[in-house]
Amino acid sequence: MLILANVQNALEQLWTHKLRSLLTVLGIVIAVASTITVVGVIQGFTSYVSVFLQNQGTNAMWVWPFRPPGEAGKRLGRVELDESDYQAIAMNCPALKRVSPLLRRQSAKVRVGRDEITSILEGVSADYHPIRNFFVDVGRPFSAVDVERGHHVCVLGREVLRKLNAGEDIVGEWLLIDGQRFRVIGLLEEKGSFLGASQDDVVLIPYTMAFKMYPAVRRKIALTASALNELVVPEARAQVVNLLRRRHSLEASQPNDFNVLTQDEILENFNKLSLVATAVLSGIVGISLLVGGIGIMNVMLVSVTERTREIGLRKAVGARRRDICLQFLTEAVALSVVGGGMGIGLGYGLCALASLHPQMVAVIVPWWAVVLGFGISAGTGVVFGLVPAIKAALLNPIDALRHE
Amino acid sequence: MGEEIVHALRGLDLSIGSNELVAIMGPSGSGKSTLMNILGLLDVPTTGQYWLDGRDVAQLPQSELARVRGRQIGFVFQTFELLPRQTALRNVELPLTYSGGPNRKGRAIEALERVGLGNRMGHRPNQMSGGQRQRVAIARALVQKPSLLLADEPTGNLDTQTGEEILALFTELHQQGQTIVIVTHEPDVAERCKRIVRIRDGQVESDESC
Ligand SMILES: Nc1ncnc2c1ncn2[C@@H]1O[C@H](COP(=O)(O)OP(=O)(O)OP(=O)(O)O)[C@@H](O)[C@H]1O
Ligand SMILES: [Mg+2]
Repeated sequence: MLILANVQNALEQLWTHKLRSLLTVLGIVIAVASTITVVGVIQGFTSYVSVFLQNQGTNAMWVWPFRPPGEAGKRLGRVELDESDYQAIAMNCPALKRVSPLLRRQSAKVRVGRDEITSILEGVSADYHPIRNFFVDVGRPFSAVDVERGHHVCVLGREVLRKLNAGEDIVGEWLLIDGQRFRVIGLLEEKGSFLGASQDDVVLIPYTMAFKMYPAVRRKIALTASALNELVVPEARAQVVNLLRRRHSLEASQPNDFNVLTQDEILENFNKLSLVATAVLSGIVGISLLVGGIGIMNVMLVSVTERTREIGLRKAVGARRRDICLQFLTEAVALSVVGGGMGIGLGYGLCALASLHPQMVAVIVPWWAVVLGFGISAGTGVVFGLVPAIKAALLNPIDALRHE
Repeated sequence: MGEEIVHALRGLDLSIGSNELVAIMGPSGSGKSTLMNILGLLDVPTTGQYWLDGRDVAQLPQSELARVRGRQIGFVFQTFELLPRQTALRNVELPLTYSGGPNRKGRAIEALERVGLGNRMGHRPNQMSGGQRQRVAIARALVQKPSLLLADEPTGNLDTQTGEEILALFTELHQQGQTIVIVTHEPDVAERCKRIVRIRDGQVESDESC
């Protein structure tokens, strides 16, 4: 019953000093609002990235030639990855299900009649579609023969169609890619954009054709591959690494002259990033809580002084020290929790505002962030309300009643 | 700083029976309020004993003092000491929130009716006259049915007419069996009391029953 009376009393006090209370809890509002916003955005990005990685094809990995930085890297000979490496990996890595070369050119000219656009060109094998989870939905994908023989055929992403102002009837037509004639045999299903960049702005050709058109890339190809299943990804990685080290005659002391990246590692890197964001957040939250807490302590000390006679009277009618202590603690906590509530509201508002940006991911505020928000605000109230509450509790009743 | 030690009360021996109406008089600074504070357990004597209802309460621990203060003593102050933002009813309920017990509201209403304020329960102190405020304060002191009702110059802030009414109320409560101690400066107030204790320099100067 006393608790109920305390809460009612605390809310009345708060309401009586609306403006003062509002200014006091500003620090807590900021702390909680930034918690909600940052956590929401991070969670949004995390789920966005994991969905994106799922779309890349599960268990996917990438291999490319890479000279490690520093002295050890300089002492390596030529850093190369070529078709024979690709063939060897395809043959000798049992934990891999599929592997495809990935020869990527950031801008290739695509021309149909008078219209010319630039797009991203990728030279791949027929296995590329299942590895990347990127299938043809109109026409047909590459056949093994297309790749082996180096047929002049291509598969277009939907964004390329849009840029060319062409319809699906382009399948079967001929076009020019960097001056070479290609027949369109298929269209890729729509994949949408990632972080504002379209994933459908891509032209696929057999990698054997890419070798012919750009001989320079023959010795520096990248590979994309998928493991048999999730569990053997590390094993597949090890097989690729061992095989390539052997093929490149690297000694035990030498670093890899290539890089292998798995989806897990991408996710891990992303998680490291969110950790940094979380650390920055903790800094902001810590400082605002300190400011907010000192504000609460200050206003509670003022309140205790203002209400010294009330405290004396309460003691005279039977309030024990712990009753008075609890009363003022309840007030401090009510103050800070109201601040926390406003912070949560503001946080949701900021999240909604952020979501308005066209390239923003869907923000997800998890329930535990709300609980955390209330928790830290209530905690601040308790910690910083303690000193004023104890001060009030220890007042001598006659001195308090004599207070002017 | 050189603070002087003041013996506000010294060698004072007083015994008050149940259902007495005692007036305490004496010049300013004689120690009347100090005595009342000790009787009300707001203050503890440096030395000496205070037996209340057959128990020495002078050296009780803090929390026990608060308990006895809440349940056995009703204090009426010269300056009313009502919580300004709360209604008469909630002011009267206040002691009950600390002692607990059932039917707080009913008991508070009953106390307010006893002092003749049954029709003012929802009013705040600033909506009431001085006399009404003091009645609320008396109701608050009575709500626990205390063994001892203490009033330190209860009419000091009231005009003569209103003061008379308040004193009539005390007399009435006394007739209902309430033990009351009143500090006063006014002789005609004291006249209503059955016993007058005069204090001077912290000692009982005279103690006369009439
Ligand atoms: N907190 C205090 N510190 C020091 N001396 C005090 C304190 N309170 C009271 N005294 C002294 O104790 C003596 C008795 O004070 P008390 O308030 O009991 O007098 P009183 O009889 O109630 O006077 P009045 O009729 O003016 O109210 C006085 O000399 C006063 O100066
Ligand atoms: Mg006095």
